[in-house]
Amino acid sequence: MVAGKQDALLAQMRKGTLQYCVLALLADEERYGFDLVRSLAETDGMVTSEGTIYPLLSRLRRDGLVETTWRESTSGPPRRYYKLTTAGRSALEAFKGEWGRFRDAVDHFVERNAG
Amino acid sequence: MSTTPDKLVERYLKHLEVELDDLPRDRRSEIVDEIAGHIAEARGVLEHESEADVRNILEGLGDPPDIAEDARDRFDVQPALPVAPYKRGSMEIAALVLLLVGGLIVPIFGWMIGVILLWLSNAWNVRDKVIGTIFVPGGLGLPLIGFVLFATGSGGGICISDLNNPSRAACTGEGTSTGDVITVVALIALLIAPLVTTAYLAYRLRHQPAAATA
Repeated sequence: MVAGKQDALLAQMRKGTLQYCVLALLADEERYGFDLVRSLAETDGMVTSEGTIYPLLSRLRRDGLVETTWRESTSGPPRRYYKLTTAGRSALEAFKGEWGRFRDAVDHFVERNAG
Repeated sequence: MSTTPDKLVERYLKHLEVELDDLPRDRRSEIVDEIAGHIAEARGVLEHESEADVRNILEGLGDPPDIAEDARDRFDVQPALPVAPYKRGSMEIAALVLLLVGGLIVPIFGWMIGVILLWLSNAWNVRDKVIGTIFVPGGLGLPLIGFVLFATGSGGGICISDLNNPSRAACTGEGTSTGDVITVVALIALLIAPLVTTAYLAYRLRHQPAAATA
C-alpha cells in the first residue's frame, strides 16, 4: 500500500517536472518532436510513455512557453520545430531556482537520515 | 515489404484519435499528427524494418488510453460526460417498444408516447430521431389495420396504397388483381419498414453510445 502511494507520488513528480525538462532541452536549440523524445528517453526513468510528450508540447505551445516553426527535412516530410519563447525562458529560470532550493531541502533531511 | 506494419500504425492512430475524443478538435489533430510524425521518423531511422520494430515503436509511445488520460490532464478536460447520460436506460427501451407496437396497444397514443420518448432521449442524434419518427407513423399499427381492412374487403385500406398508382387501380370494392398485388406489396413494405427502423435505432443505441448531444 505504501509502495503504491510512493509510485503514484513519483509518477506525479515526474509528470510535473517533465515540462521543465522539455523547456530546458529547448533552452539552447530548436528541436523537433522525435528528437526531443529521443533525448528525454536517453535518461532512464524520465518518460514512461513517449507519446505523452506530444500533449505536453501542445499545451506548452498554447500557454505561450514554446513556439513552433515548420522546416523542411532532408529525409522526409517537413518537421515542426519547437523553440523557447521569452515567457518560456523565464518560466524555466524561475523553476530552476525553486527546484534547487527544494532539492537541497529534501536532500538535507533524506541524506542525513540515510547517513 | 509487408503491409502489416502499416496496418499496425494505422490501427494505433485510429485508436488514439478515438481515445482523444474529449479534447477540442484542433488539439486532438495536433497531437495525432505529431505522433504520426514521430512514428514516421522512428521508422525512417530503421534500416530493415520488421514488424517487431514497429511494435516496439508503438509500445514506446504508450497505450492510447494512457496518452489520452495524460492529455486530458494536461488540458484540464474532464473525462467523457457520456458515462452517465448516455447509459442505455429503460427510456430508450420503452421508446423502441412503443414506436413499434405502441400503436397496437393504445391506437395512435401508444406510438406518440414512443415518439416523445425518442426525442427526449440523448442516445440518438437528430437524424436518427427523424428516421424513427417518419418510418413509419403508427409503427406496426398502420399496416396491421391495413391488412384487416384489406382482408374484410373494405375499400378504405386499399385506397391509401392505390393513391400512388391512380391509373392502375380504382378504389372499387371488387379490386382488380393488379390492385390487390400492389396493395399487398405496399402493406408488406409498411410492415417491414418499422421493423427495420427499430432494428436500426437499436443498433445505434448499442454502437454509438456517445453519438449525440443534440
